[in-house]
Amino acid sequence: MKNNPINIFVVGGGTGGTLAANLLAKHLRSDIRAGRAQVHLISGSDTRHIFQPGYLHVAFGNLDPHEIMREENELVNHEVHLIQKDAARFDLDRKEIVLMSGEKITYDYLIIATGSVADPTIIPGLGEAALNFHTSPEESKKIWNALERFDGGHVVIGVAGVPHKCPPSPNEGAFLLDDYLRKRGVRDKAKITFVTPYPRSYPAEPMSKVVTPLFEKRGIELVTFFNVESVDPVKHEMYSLEGEAISYDLLIMVPPHRGANVVKNSGIGDTDGWIPTDKHTMRISGHDMEYAIGDATNIPVSKTGVTAHLEAIVAVKNILTSLTNQNVQYEYTGRINCPFEMGSGKASFVVGSYEMPVREIQPNKLRYFMKRTFANFYWRTLSGTWDWLLGVYFGETCKKVTTEIGTSEVS
Amino acid sequence: MSQGEPVKPTIVVDSRGTMCPGPITDLFKAYRNSNIGDVIELLATDPAAKSDTQAWANRSGNQILAIVDERDHIRIQVKIIKKGRPSAQ
Repeated sequence: MKNNPINIFVVGGGTGGTLAANLLAKHLRSDIRAGRAQVHLISGSDTRHIFQPGYLHVAFGNLDPHEIMREENELVNHEVHLIQKDAARFDLDRKEIVLMSGEKITYDYLIIATGSVADPTIIPGLGEAALNFHTSPEESKKIWNALERFDGGHVVIGVAGVPHKCPPSPNEGAFLLDDYLRKRGVRDKAKITFVTPYPRSYPAEPMSKVVTPLFEKRGIELVTFFNVESVDPVKHEMYSLEGEAISYDLLIMVPPHRGANVVKNSGIGDTDGWIPTDKHTMRISGHDMEYAIGDATNIPVSKTGVTAHLEAIVAVKNILTSLTNQNVQYEYTGRINCPFEMGSGKASFVVGSYEMPVREIQPNKLRYFMKRTFANFYWRTLSGTWDWLLGVYFGETCKKVTTEIGTSEVS
Repeated sequence: MSQGEPVKPTIVVDSRGTMCPGPITDLFKAYRNSNIGDVIELLATDPAAKSDTQAWANRSGNQILAIVDERDHIRIQVKIIKKGRPSAQ
């Protein structure tokens, strides 16, 4: 390692960014204390860290929003220099981050973990007409408030546009909505319709074979190939690009997502603001010292906290091997593992990787227990000290590859 | 098996290397930004792209111009002849 301190910056204080900063601090602790390295986390001016899967339970289970929030500074290793300011743009050629304040920061290594934005404004009328559980705890709470007042009618729930984070979440919302209305004794006064742009109830066919029979059993109607074009909040009608219309009394839709403004403003994303990234090494395409992880990338895996977590590990390992001039690199296998709640206290998981297509996994109570246990465990996983346990559960998540000879092993 | 004669596309969507629902997701994004008369060419390696695109075209009233089995991928061309409500076109 060279004499001047190496400055490693992580931008974004969500699951991937927080874990990446903590892992770097953990592995570089002696170098940080000796002044040879510094790890900085630019986490944004909103000091809250939100466990986003919890939105579902705020919306459909009356969970107190405070239960899914912690202050970011309580979650960050004390060796990390936490900067709670907003980044305005990146200049990767100059190795520079510009803050909203105008301050310019130079880095040696950069991990961009700026996430995605659920943006109802992409579709005319959607923001005015629909409730959602993807933009904030406060918006999620509005669904619960509306459900408490609901005494019958047509509830339309689903996916307004693609892509969106947490692929199972719209289906989960439909199942928990059904559970809630049954518990209230008003299910017979309600019609539930699940609307999706995809050809089937769940995008990956093996899991749709699990979901569709459950929808039928619960009387949840399914409308496929419905890409929302616009919504008329006055007429209570939603229109599709395919030329169809559906009327509603209560509308709950997952907005389409886009990349963060800081990415769009930097000109480093594609037209939707996703950063072109090597799907194995997590390096930003065309760059050696810059990485992107989590929702911010364009890689073809689900945008979820689990993938952000696993990608953070890969990016950190590659930075550490680069610092010590090892002729190895780590490659993400595309492992996904999305918990999928299906009502009645049962859950499944969506499991796959680049080489292993998603397979059919039926819901049961044990998997529900696992999902809820993981949710409770989430805050501890951000420290990185429990990765050995997650490794036992996840199995192959990244491969160690020698860059000269080409032999590899699974870690 | 290939069908139809490919034409010069207006929009090319390269979804090679992505698995379901990657290709159909990319097709929908292109459809959202397309105009009537555009030809969207979808390149995919996932075999499900064929049946998904055909089913979507049948449902939405758009026209499959060609499906070509290339050596290592599938090339699907869709002509956009319907988008949105009739009154909005």
